Amino acid sequence: MNDTTFVLTLAASVAAAVPIALAALGELLSERSGVLNLGVEGMMLIGAVTAFQAGDASGNLWVALAVGAAAGAVFSLIHAFLCVTLRANQIVSGLALVIFGTGVSTFIGKSIEGEPLDTDFVPTRWGALADLPLVGPVLFDQDPMMYITIVLAAVIAFYLNRTRAGLALRAVGESPATADSVGVAVALQRYVHVMIGGLLAGAGGAYLVLGQVPAWSQDGTTAGVGWIALALVVFASWKPMRVLLGAFLFGFARRANFWLQGEGVDIPAEFLSMLPYLLTIIVLVVWGSRDLQRRVGAPAALGIPYIRDER
Amino acid sequence: MGYTLQLERRLSTNWKQAVFTPILSVLAALAAGAVFLLIEGFDPISVYRELFDASFTSKFGITDTLTIAVPLILTGLAAAVVFRMNLFNIGAEGQLYLGAIFGSWAGLALTDGLPTVAGVGLVLVFAAMGGAVWALPAAVFKAFFGTSEIITTLMLTFIALFLMRYLIFGSSSYWRDPETTNFPQGKRVPTSARFELFGDTRLHWGIVVALGIVMLVWVLIRFTSLGFDMNVVGSSPASAAYAGISTRRTVIVALLLSGALGGLAGGAEVAGRAYALDPNGLELGLGFTGIVVAALARYHPFGIVIVATFIAGLRNGGIALQGLPGERVPVEVSLMLQGAILLCAIGGDIFARNRLRLVRTAPQNVEAAS
Repeated sequence: MNDTTFVLTLAASVAAAVPIALAALGELLSERSGVLNLGVEGMMLIGAVTAFQAGDASGNLWVALAVGAAAGAVFSLIHAFLCVTLRANQIVSGLALVIFGTGVSTFIGKSIEGEPLDTDFVPTRWGALADLPLVGPVLFDQDPMMYITIVLAAVIAFYLNRTRAGLALRAVGESPATADSVGVAVALQRYVHVMIGGLLAGAGGAYLVLGQVPAWSQDGTTAGVGWIALALVVFASWKPMRVLLGAFLFGFARRANFWLQGEGVDIPAEFLSMLPYLLTIIVLVVWGSRDLQRRVGAPAALGIPYIRDER
Repeated sequence: MGYTLQLERRLSTNWKQAVFTPILSVLAALAAGAVFLLIEGFDPISVYRELFDASFTSKFGITDTLTIAVPLILTGLAAAVVFRMNLFNIGAEGQLYLGAIFGSWAGLALTDGLPTVAGVGLVLVFAAMGGAVWALPAAVFKAFFGTSEIITTLMLTFIALFLMRYLIFGSSSYWRDPETTNFPQGKRVPTSARFELFGDTRLHWGIVVALGIVMLVWVLIRFTSLGFDMNVVGSSPASAAYAGISTRRTVIVALLLSGALGGLAGGAEVAGRAYALDPNGLELGLGFTGIVVAALARYHPFGIVIVATFIAGLRNGGIALQGLPGERVPVEVSLMLQGAILLCAIGGDIFARNRLRLVRTAPQNVEAAS
């Protein structure tokens, strides 16, 4: 049964979830510190194009991944400086970051447009486990990044909920003045978490060229993954493990078309693409109304610059 | 302990800052862009000169720049009317798509044989309606459930994008041209639904309409009671309640107005440039760019005209560079510079209004930690 379209689609959905989850986990940390970064798509593009070039030059997967992640982090530093130090409007800065990221990545990617990349992630087969029905191809025949992503989500969940540092981070996102009054360095926390956000978005972008389609194209490589990641953070109510589950769901929406067509279900691909955004609105409206906001978990200080003098 | 950087609001701002800050921001961005150009082996000075010449020195350069400015002015206004009241409709992009869908429908279905004024008028009215329809869910959810309009308008943008793609690529809809088979395109609207052009240029009457709407929005903000209500609700919801202004109604009206302006941008693109539903919307990013345009103009309608024209010039210059003989400067240079200029200007704007000071942090922290 493992070569049925359905199982293949599920396996592909899990792979498609990896870059979405990586970027969304990063954005989650940034938003939990109180900084909304709409520039995810831009940071992913930068991560993808630099990872391609690093992979091309070094031939080493992990070097390429690290370079892509680092480039994303450097890029997010612009946002951190504008929004944390200069207290610029986070929405405006994030959107400008998308425009800049698109421009820079297209410009430096001009020479490699359409070229193939030989360095890419290959699935590891877990021996006999990979032959198990259904779970074999879905869970035990994936490339290392999938396992890293799952571990990462768990680590971030532990960090947020079970550690002192995570408590400080949540305090900064909920009530920076309170955090400040007990000695938490608000600006530093925000810088660090915005940059981790950039790091993971960059890694997600890098994975798109290293793990999915080993080529670079400005409009095809990310194809809106950054925006889906933004939706996912809201969909998952700012909770890491829900981000992981939501990523599989959104990944499925991106890959289900093939299977549905085989089943004779004729849903246009465009409607499937709308699904993550539609679901996010529904979740937000139903669970996110003003009265229930606390339970949904939007950080109270999200989007608001912190000014100590006006405490 | 140590030192930290602290922002201090300037007590007074003078005209010199207002003039020099944008210029310095642009220079900083050009310097940043020059680094990338040098790395890729281009001579920055000549690239910049060609960019400028292409957009601002010839008759066709200037008219093409203004043509591109039309939708940017309108999306800029769409952002400005709500951003100034701390209401963040970031979905002008999607509202523009809906404006284009409604507008092109009206153009195809209703305008045959009409005089141009009536035909184009219909396109624009329907486009504004389309944009407002797309802002409606966000407005209602915001007003009644307190749902963040930032998220809903952003999500609706992507739903609109895929709806538009469905109409052209995914189905044989009314909007799709049945004659193009290998690469689907929108059906072209009749001439009665197209703006007239100025002489032999590509500039159309949409620029006049856009400037007229700039005046209307300015009047609305400055002189009408709706504008006043919007101001009060934006700056202090508590005072608004005390004064008997319905926050709910004002929020809905403001978001619908913003959506209608975004929709108009889509209608103006249909009637003035594309003449059809053009599914390659996101690549142009007119709605998202409009938000940054509005922010740089400090949400002032007249400022938006200036900033939009400048950004349009950059875009136009990028396109024109492609047509030049000799060394091929990629069109992406202009996109990269746009981003750099936007980011530098956002930073520069803050510097103009605040002072960055290095201050000792010691006493406060020690006290706080104990």
